[in-house]
Amino acid sequence: MTFQTYDCLQMLPIILLSLSGIALLFLGFQKSRALLLPATLLFLVIAFVANFLDWGKTYMYFRDMLLVNNLAMIFTGVVLLSTFMVVSLSGSLADDEDAQPAEYYAILLFSLVGAIMMIGFENLIMLFVGVEILSVAMYILTGSDKRNLRSNEAALKYFLMGAFATGILLFGIALLYGATGSFVLSGIGNYAHSATNAGGSMLLFYVGMFMLLIGMLFKVSAAPFHFWTPDVYDGAPSLFTAYMSTVVKTAGFAALLRILSVSFSGVYDFWWVAMAVVTVLTLLIGNITAVYQASFKRMMAYSSISHAGYLLIGLVGLSQASKPAIAFYSLAYSLSTIAAFGVLMLVARNRPLNAAVFGDQTTLARTDEHYDAFNGLARKNPLLGFVMAVSMLSLAGIPLTAGFWGKFMVFSAAADRGAVWLLVVAVLMSAVGIYYYFRVVIAMYFREGQTDTIRVAPFYRIVLIAATVLTLALGLLPNLFQGLI
Amino acid sequence: MQPNDVAVNIPEVIQQIPLNYYLIFSTALFVIGIIGVLTRRNAIIIFMSIELMLNAVNTLLIAFSSYRSDPTGQVFVFFIMAVAAAEVSVGLAIIVMIYRNIRTIDVGVLNKLKW
Amino acid sequence: MEGFFMAFYRMGWHRTAANYVRFIANLRSFLSLLSMNTASYLPSDYIPIFIQLSLALGFIVVTMLVTHNIGPKRHSVKKDDPFECGIPTQGDARAPISIKYFLVAILFVLFDVEVIFMYPWAVNFMQLGQEGFIQMVLFMGLLLAGFYYVIRKGVLKWE
Repeated sequence: MTFQTYDCLQMLPIILLSLSGIALLFLGFQKSRALLLPATLLFLVIAFVANFLDWGKTYMYFRDMLLVNNLAMIFTGVVLLSTFMVVSLSGSLADDEDAQPAEYYAILLFSLVGAIMMIGFENLIMLFVGVEILSVAMYILTGSDKRNLRSNEAALKYFLMGAFATGILLFGIALLYGATGSFVLSGIGNYAHSATNAGGSMLLFYVGMFMLLIGMLFKVSAAPFHFWTPDVYDGAPSLFTAYMSTVVKTAGFAALLRILSVSFSGVYDFWWVAMAVVTVLTLLIGNITAVYQASFKRMMAYSSISHAGYLLIGLVGLSQASKPAIAFYSLAYSLSTIAAFGVLMLVARNRPLNAAVFGDQTTLARTDEHYDAFNGLARKNPLLGFVMAVSMLSLAGIPLTAGFWGKFMVFSAAADRGAVWLLVVAVLMSAVGIYYYFRVVIAMYFREGQTDTIRVAPFYRIVLIAATVLTLALGLLPNLFQGLI
Repeated sequence: MQPNDVAVNIPEVIQQIPLNYYLIFSTALFVIGIIGVLTRRNAIIIFMSIELMLNAVNTLLIAFSSYRSDPTGQVFVFFIMAVAAAEVSVGLAIIVMIYRNIRTIDVGVLNKLKW
Repeated sequence: MEGFFMAFYRMGWHRTAANYVRFIANLRSFLSLLSMNTASYLPSDYIPIFIQLSLALGFIVVTMLVTHNIGPKRHSVKKDDPFECGIPTQGDARAPISIKYFLVAILFVLFDVEVIFMYPWAVNFMQLGQEGFIQMVLFMGLLLAGFYYVIRKGVLKWE
């Protein structure tokens, strides 16, 4: 057995991200914080380039632990791009006395390693390790606002619920191992395909499969298991909410897509009804509850639940077409969500909490994140108004934006399977979505408010514009992206 | 006695107890953990129940792994233990952070996030 | 460890231990999920368990009774005080402990568990050879990077 340089020098993004995370931790000992943000962005760009070096090839790395193909590279690219944008919106961390930017950036890079593992795993060990790396990093970032009770509470809730979900996921994996004798995805897939396995251990297999799926649905906040999402997204600092609602969701759906298409496609008849019920529940709860929210940030949390529902439609109509559809949808959703949170952070920072009225700042409802905070925004800040309007249109799925094509591709993947009733629900719920997404557009353009001009740092401005331009470009030319896969 | 003989004998010893018993045992442990998570109000005890769930999984994996004479399951257990340790430290840190702010770890007090 | 296990095995105690589990599991056998092919056990097979159980219970009961009944009882303030290594007691047992202690304990948990990855490597040291060695050096390097970070952060400074 010789040392295989081939094996270890290839899976570059993971190695680069781990090493640059450690490097960032030590950069944090420097007095000046100015270097941290550019260094993080540089590391992300390097990882992004390294990711696409193997374009067009399919490799198995680390003794058949991780698979890299075009689809995995696309998902990794989406995740890295989202992180790049979230990090570039974090300029204000350097001025915050309580913040620890070096640690935050390092944790973000480490969590990306987990996301990439979830995207390309071939062995359930890698799925578990990836999920945990991502989740543990998220628990820390959710609670990073240490003095704020809301952040504390969100962190504890996220932690307890996340660990509980991990337990269920693991029990499912253990039962699958007992039934099939393998942790390898294709090994489990072979077992599922051989129809002669009727009998006792088939029960183990089904129970294990459902527990595994429940664990994963917890992580992507699908409906019966969504209850932690609004609280956590609301309580976490906005920057990390943006990261959670994009990167974690993308990685979670990539993992679900992978395990359903490779391992469980042989028993499709068995799970599709359950998944369809979960999908309908997710769509109903996400969209209808979002209507009743007074806080924009909390609305975005329910919106992320409803988008999990649309992505689940792509999984229920599992086919070759649903792979690019889910990748495209993730990209469109991530771009719009990050742009929306970018504007929200600017608006909220511009309207300091009215602590004098309530006295205790830690328990105060965050009026700075309500719809009212956006009143009259577009008058003085036309750029911010436009960025927000485009991202809302994209999230609502209006034509000429990326969100429309995302929905279109996902729906047509499901239509091929003949799940028409599912599509009826989804289209109805999209119509409900238009109502609450347009509330903020109306507030910005047609309401009176005393907003003054908000100063936007040049780089921040560039990222917001880039997200908007990409959303529109993908809306006009969706084939740009489709041709890649 | 040669080490090889041990390797031959161990599965035989283990197989004196049927696999079902392990399955029922770890399912029972797991369910106790779930009930603990759902009914307790103290963050630390909820946390302990979650650890119980993880250990039920470990037991089950080891049982399956021994019955199949396949070491992969035991390797998985190593990963679960290492990751659970990381999770423990983050979780305890969160609990301590909350205790410093509000002087209690009863999850019922945490109700600031409501719509 | 192996020697201990073999001794345990040769003396037949594993069968006793197994019987323990069987006894408890049999109570729940109606829950059985799968088809069972266990040999049936006679009631006499459980005799060792009952002997052991009664010995264990008997020891506790006997020691409790005997210690309460022999020996004189003399109460005084000093005697009824909680015993704390011979020094006078220091207030309540629920005294707050420094957060530093907590940090050290957490770090101990983290670094301590990583050793489990070294056991399989140590057992298969020769077979894994150079590749395994390089991987383990990498692993330890990453751990030490974390340790160096902890020291630089000043977590282990007690003052």
